Formats: sequence, C-alpha cells, structure tokens
Amino acid sequence: MSKKGNVRETSGPVRVLQRKPLPRKFTLMNALPDVGLVGVVAGSQIVSSLGMKEIGAVESALFPPLVVLHDGVPKSPIRIFAKESLAVIIAETAIPAGAVYPIAEAIVSWASSTGAKLVLSIGGMAVQNRQDIESPKVFAALSDKKLSRMVDGAAEVLGEGYIVGAYAIMLKRCAEIGLPAIALLTQSYYNYPDPEAAAAAVKSVNKVLGLSVDTSELLRKGEEIRLRGKDIMKRTQTEMARINKSQEYDVPPLYG
Amino acid sequence: MSKERKKLDFSNYLKRTEQITERMLTSGWNEACSTIEPLSDIILGASEVVVTMDLPYVDPNAVQVNVTADDTIEVQAKTKHKIRLHEMGVKHRKSEFNLYHTVLHMPVPVNEEGMTHKLKRGILEIHIPRQK
Repeated sequence: MSKKGNVRETSGPVRVLQRKPLPRKFTLMNALPDVGLVGVVAGSQIVSSLGMKEIGAVESALFPPLVVLHDGVPKSPIRIFAKESLAVIIAETAIPAGAVYPIAEAIVSWASSTGAKLVLSIGGMAVQNRQDIESPKVFAALSDKKLSRMVDGAAEVLGEGYIVGAYAIMLKRCAEIGLPAIALLTQSYYNYPDPEAAAAAVKSVNKVLGLSVDTSELLRKGEEIRLRGKDIMKRTQTEMARINKSQEYDVPPLYG
Repeated sequence: MSKERKKLDFSNYLKRTEQITERMLTSGWNEACSTIEPLSDIILGASEVVVTMDLPYVDPNAVQVNVTADDTIEVQAKTKHKIRLHEMGVKHRKSEFNLYHTVLHMPVPVNEEGMTHKLKRGILEIHIPRQK
C-alpha cells in the first residue's frame, strides 16, 4: 500500500484507490455483478438510501477501457462509497473473467491493510424454479463457523455446495488470513435482474448490520430496475459463462 | 452424410454462430425498428424445449409466439407504454420503444402443435414439444 498525497493505493494488476480515510474496524460490503445482479441492485439501494459518499475506486488495465458519466463527470465503473463505519464497493460493469482473481485478492488485501473488521459480500444464488418462489431465501457462506451467530435470523448457513467467482476467492483468502467474511447469497434468477431477490438481500443485511434500509422502492420500481439492468446482466452472463458460474448448480461429490 | 449436406450444416453452423455472437455483443436496443431484444434462456428437456424471457413492462395480452421454422421461434410482445431512453437518463438519444422482439434458434427441431406459453411475474415461459 502506497500513499500519494491523500490517496492510499494498493499495488498489483488491480489497484484500490482510497481518497478519504475510513474508521478502523469498518465493515466492507461488496456489491459486484453476478447472478440476478442481486449484489449491484441491493448495494445501489443501500448506498443511495444511506446517502453514502464516494471515497475511492478500483482501477485496472484488466477492466474494459470505460468510464461512467454521472452528472457529466467521468467516474470509474467500480467505486467505493462510505458512511461512518460502512464502506461499499459497487460495480457498474461486468467483471471480466480474467480480472476475477486479481480483483478479489486486491479487495481483501486492501480491506485487511486498512483495518476492516468484516467483509460482507452480497450476491445471488440461482434457482431454476425462481418464478414459483414468493419470498426468496438468503443463505450465508462463512469464512469461519463462529460467524454463524452474526447471521442468526438473517440467513441460513450454507453447509455444502460450490461458490464460483470473486466472492469465492474472497471467502477463501479471508479465511486464510483470519479476516471475518460472510457471503450473503439470495435465491434468484440466473440470467435476469432480480429486484425482489435484492430486496430480500437488503433485509438480511439490515439484520446482520443493524441497519434500516427501506426495500419498498426496489419492489415498486421492479420493472424499471429489470429494464435498466438488462445490458449489464447480458455482459455479466458472458463473464459468468467464462468462469463456469453454473457449477454452483452442481452437487459436491464428497460428503462429511 | 454427403459432402453437400456437410457443407450446408457447416454453413448453418457459421451463420448461427455469427447470430449468437452478434446477439451477445450488441446492446439489444434496436432504434431503427423501435424494438428491444429481451434477455432469454433456452433449456433443452427430454421431450420439450423450455424458453424463458424477461419482459418488464409487457402487456400480458399482447404476447405473440410463433414457430417460424423447424428450429426457430419468433417472439413479439408489446409494452404497456412507450419506453423512452431520455426518461431513463440517456440525454443524447431520443429513441422510444414499445415492442420486445427476438428470433431464437432452438437446439433441436420443435413442433408448434402443443406449444404453450404463460407470463408469470414478468417472465415469459414457453414450452415447445420436440419433434419426434
């Protein structure tokens, strides 16, 4: 980690740029695009509802050469927002398959070196009969069994199964270095943006972190969110195919 | 298989690959025709092909599904109201859309007879029997 002026920056193929200080023992939430765009939609609602401010970005030559214009200002497609002891990394572009390992490593390395107390990743868990599910369930994958108390009443702990993608790498890396990490995975469509699943994810986050983020807007604006999310979902599909994301449907061969 | 047939199959394969690639790479907002290409998924079953499609804002009474060839279906679905890009924050394009449209190639030949479709929670689900 280097410091240039007020900017703290990690080194490596993916760089985390932190422009404003964070309190020690903050919670880092990851809202990256994957199944049903659950993380991105939920993260976006949390960021806007809490009025979080932009404090940094994640940059890499491994990402597509693009910026997102907001109010006429060019922004990185992967930004960090923060308020008090919560920081959220949220992406507005699909993560290229070749960047999955480096981005997961960079985020964990940055979180660990800046004193994060918890890495909470929000994502989807594809289920084929999603249309028949009224209230999507939330499952939690933990870096350490001791964290099960934190998700009590908010999510069901996942015992067996595969997790594929950036959150999988983050969980494993966090377990190795002893940084508590939880991935909250909500039942969702695989290929379609799922605001209902995102609402269930936000409710679960509310319970885990003691927040009170409103989810009614996600349900009220469901159709708009699905249409707006169509293009990033399509690009995410391509990247999910490249990393064999569908392996999450598989049944693990070993037991016990 | 004759040489002619092999050539034809390979040519079809290339054509389909081009179409799939084009579909994956383009954004799916067809401004020239005022149509939107919906997100879709195809599942091959033992006796049928199941196609699903995400159709936000669709009018449930204005969904049309046709089998246009042994292995191709065409779906058109009108939206409840016009979708204008500038209302979604896109200022440099003034396009508006009121129709979802897509042509999908089936992994096996299908039979229009017995085909059913239903719209549930904004997702269109089409069941098409496979040809025997």
